[in-house]
Order: sequence, then C-alpha cells, then structure tokens
Amino acid sequence: MERQMINKKKRVFSFEPTKLPPSEVFTRKYISHLVPALKKLNMGKSSPQINQLTVKREVDKALALSAQEFAWSRFLLQKLSSSNNPTTTTSSSSIQTQILERSNDEDGEIEEKLKELQKLLPGGEEMNVEEILTEIGNYIKCLELQTSALKSIVQDAT
Amino acid sequence: MLESLVSLESMSLSSMDVSVLERLKWLQQQQQQQQQQQQQQVLSSTNASPELLQFHGTNNDELLQNTFSHFQMLRSGFGPNYSMGFGPSHEPMDGCISRTNSCQMDQADTVGVMLKNSEENIAFSLKSKRKSEVKTRAEEKTEKKIKVEAETESNMKVKSNLSNTEASSETSKQTSKGASEIQKLDYIHVRARRGQATDRHSLAERARREKISKKMKYLQDLVPGCNKVTGRAGMLDEIINYVQSLQRQVEFLSMKLAVLNPELELAMEDLSVKQFQAYFTNLPVLVASKPSLMVDAPLFPLDQQGSLDLSVINPNQATSIEAPSASWETQSQSLYNTSSLGFQY
Repeated sequence: MERQMINKKKRVFSFEPTKLPPSEVFTRKYISHLVPALKKLNMGKSSPQINQLTVKREVDKALALSAQEFAWSRFLLQKLSSSNNPTTTTSSSSIQTQILERSNDEDGEIEEKLKELQKLLPGGEEMNVEEILTEIGNYIKCLELQTSALKSIVQDAT
Repeated sequence: MLESLVSLESMSLSSMDVSVLERLKWLQQQQQQQQQQQQQQVLSSTNASPELLQFHGTNNDELLQNTFSHFQMLRSGFGPNYSMGFGPSHEPMDGCISRTNSCQMDQADTVGVMLKNSEENIAFSLKSKRKSEVKTRAEEKTEKKIKVEAETESNMKVKSNLSNTEASSETSKQTSKGASEIQKLDYIHVRARRGQATDRHSLAERARREKISKKMKYLQDLVPGCNKVTGRAGMLDEIINYVQSLQRQVEFLSMKLAVLNPELELAMEDLSVKQFQAYFTNLPVLVASKPSLMVDAPLFPLDQQGSLDLSVINPNQATSIEAPSASWETQSQSLYNTSSLGFQY
C-alpha cells in the first residue's frame, strides 16, 4: 500500500518514454552544455584529481540536461545537485517486492539481474520493472550518443 | 473534468463500438454521481447477488443492459424492463442513470464488483480517482489494480475481448493479491485463449507479461549482440554488460577530457561548429518540431532547421583561429565521419 502511495505521488515519470529524440538534437544540446562548462573549468586552476571529478560531473550534468524528457535524467540531476550539497538521499522501496512476485514464475536469477540493472540506471531504485525496462532503452541510446560526442571532442583535441 | 474525459474518450475511441463508448460514459457519469450524491439506498445483497450473478457469463453488452434493467427492477419491484434500450442516443442512458442513481447500492460488493467487472473488462481507460473511489467503496475486496490508475497521456485503445472472457463469478470471492503495479500508459490487448484462465488476475498478469516481453524485444533491437541470446536472463545479462561498458567508456573519455582540457580551449568553438556541420551533412536531418533549448545562444546560433548559422560564427572566430587549427580541420573532417558512423548501431 505504501508503494502504491509512493507511486501515486510520482505517477508521471517520462513523457512519452518510448519516443526518442533525434540524435542531432540530443548531441547538439549535449555539446552546448558541455563545452561551455569545460571552458569555465579551464578558467579556474585546480588539481588534477578534482579536475577529473568535476569534468566527470560536468559530463553527467550535460547528459542529464540534454535528455530532460526522461525520468532518469531528473534523477541524475538530483544526484548531481545533492552531491554538491552532501545530503543523503533516501532510497524508497526497491524493486524487491515486485520482483519477488515474479520469482515464483521465473528464476531468482532474473530478479538479481533486474536489481543490478536498477542500480545502473539513475533513479532505478524508485521504478518498477516495466518502467526500468523502458527507461533503460532511452538511457542506452543517450549514453551511446554521449559516448560518440565525447569521442569526437577528445579525438579532435589530440 | 468529465467533459474533458468524455471528449478525450470520444477522440481516442473513435474506432470503437458506439455502445462501448457510451458504456464508458455511463460509467463515468455513474461514478461521478456516486461521488456527488453518495446515495445510500440499501438493498439486500441477498436479493441483489443471485440476480446479478445471473448476468455473469453473458456478453457485457447484455450485462450492463441487464444491470440497468435490473436496477430498475429492484427499484420498482417489477419485472425486468428491457424497454430501456441501449440505443445510440444518450437519453435512455440518462434516464437509466437517474433511476439507477437512486438505487445505488452502497452494498458495494455487488455494485462495485459489477462495475469493476465491466470496467476492467471494458474500460481500462477510466480515470483513476473515480475508480479508486468505487474500489474503496467496494471495501477493496479485490485489490486488482489493472490499469485503473492510468493517466491519459497516451492513446487509449480499449479493446474488450468479451466473447472470450466471461465475467467470473468468483469476483466477489477473490482475495486481494499482493501488489500489482501496472501504471503504464500504453495498453497491451490481452486475449484469453481457449483453455486459459479468464479471471481478472490472470488476465492482468498476462497483460503485464506481454508488456514486459514487448519491452524486452525493443531492448533486444537496441543492444547489439542480443539477438543470439535467448531467454530473459541472457538478454538482461547482455543489457547489463552493455550499459556497464557504455558507462565505463564515458568515464574513460571524461578522464581523457579532463587531461586534455586546457588544450581544447582555443579550438573548441571552431571544432564544435564543424562537428555540427558534419552531423547535419552526414546524417538524415530530422527537423526539430520545437525550437531547441540552447544554453549559449550566441555561441551556437541556430536557425529554424537546426543547422548552424556558420556565417555568424566564423567572422567572430577568424581572428582567434590559429595555425594548428588548420591541420585540425582536415583531421576533424575524417573524424567526424567516424563519429557520425558511431551513431549507427
């Protein structure tokens, strides 16, 4: 029942999660977010380790900002903003109750795998099975686009 | 709210039977009036249930028709009055409503069960609030949450396979299962095959399973190398590996970027410009329907089609472009080809 209530509060996750953005739109947005952020980073001198972390965060932030129509991007943004201010995020009920129901039908393996998948996806803790599967689809697509964008940036610099 | 509901229904259900559409409307109005008026006319459940149970096993059209007439009968105490046809006009339905309203049983088992029955067999598209109220009134005996909580963002096709499914007489006896959670917007049409269980739980289970398998198929197309593996566990494995590898790649590239960052500064603008150019020439251009959200408009001015307005950029950068960038240009062109290829999985 609690789960139900939680789900009621967060009813709408993605708008049209199955509709993917065209690659160029995403890439353009991504680059437009990332490049200025990188330049800003260049202004301030910082140690390599911190630099790496901040670059990583900028990368993630650019990803999240470029894909705002998806649920996982919102979770990612939350995580990023909370990592700036160290507050603990509460994880709500996990997938366990739901997967347990299915493990009667199928192996416990699948349950394990879904849990892992849940961990990989930002915000996966708070989604149920079907949502995860949907979100993973567009998450993968955006990751691919992000990878190519980063690749091209890096390769052009070397 | 009802009007919007109704209009939404009528928009999206144009292909449906008229009778089903009106059933939906009736149900909506029914529930609304339940809320508003909260009639509490008590009818003995013993009277109601056997007669209602009679209607089980028939086509739902008849079912509701019979419920109409039944309600009238209960109220008036006369025999079933089938003269209230289920015609295409709304008047008879309104007439029905006015009568049924007063005999709204808060004996909610039967009514709630009946409504839920017909609802779940037919009206997967009704709004959640109303349904939840009906359910709470039905004392939540059956906790089946099939698609009752749906939002109406997506298309709602309601297809009832009434000829195959029969309203089970166990509805009143069904116990609540622990937690089903379907809240998606798209619907999977479930057809009960011969010999399969047709009670609501298994229908919902089947619908859920089909949804999940549909998604898995979609993921299979997305993740390279999934075709060879069969079975959900294997595919999930592949997906997990793929996501992990992508994330690792991103990490690695960002580390590289962090190292290279200082050197990137000067040529970055120029490079990104060319990058977009390459994208738009190599890839099929999909016109963005809405204007893209650009953070730094002056850096990357876009016209309506999303192609860069290079003429604006280049003069500004002409002075800042240094000699090394010339060699980068040739390099970058070839690299853009590879990067654009990278988009095609």
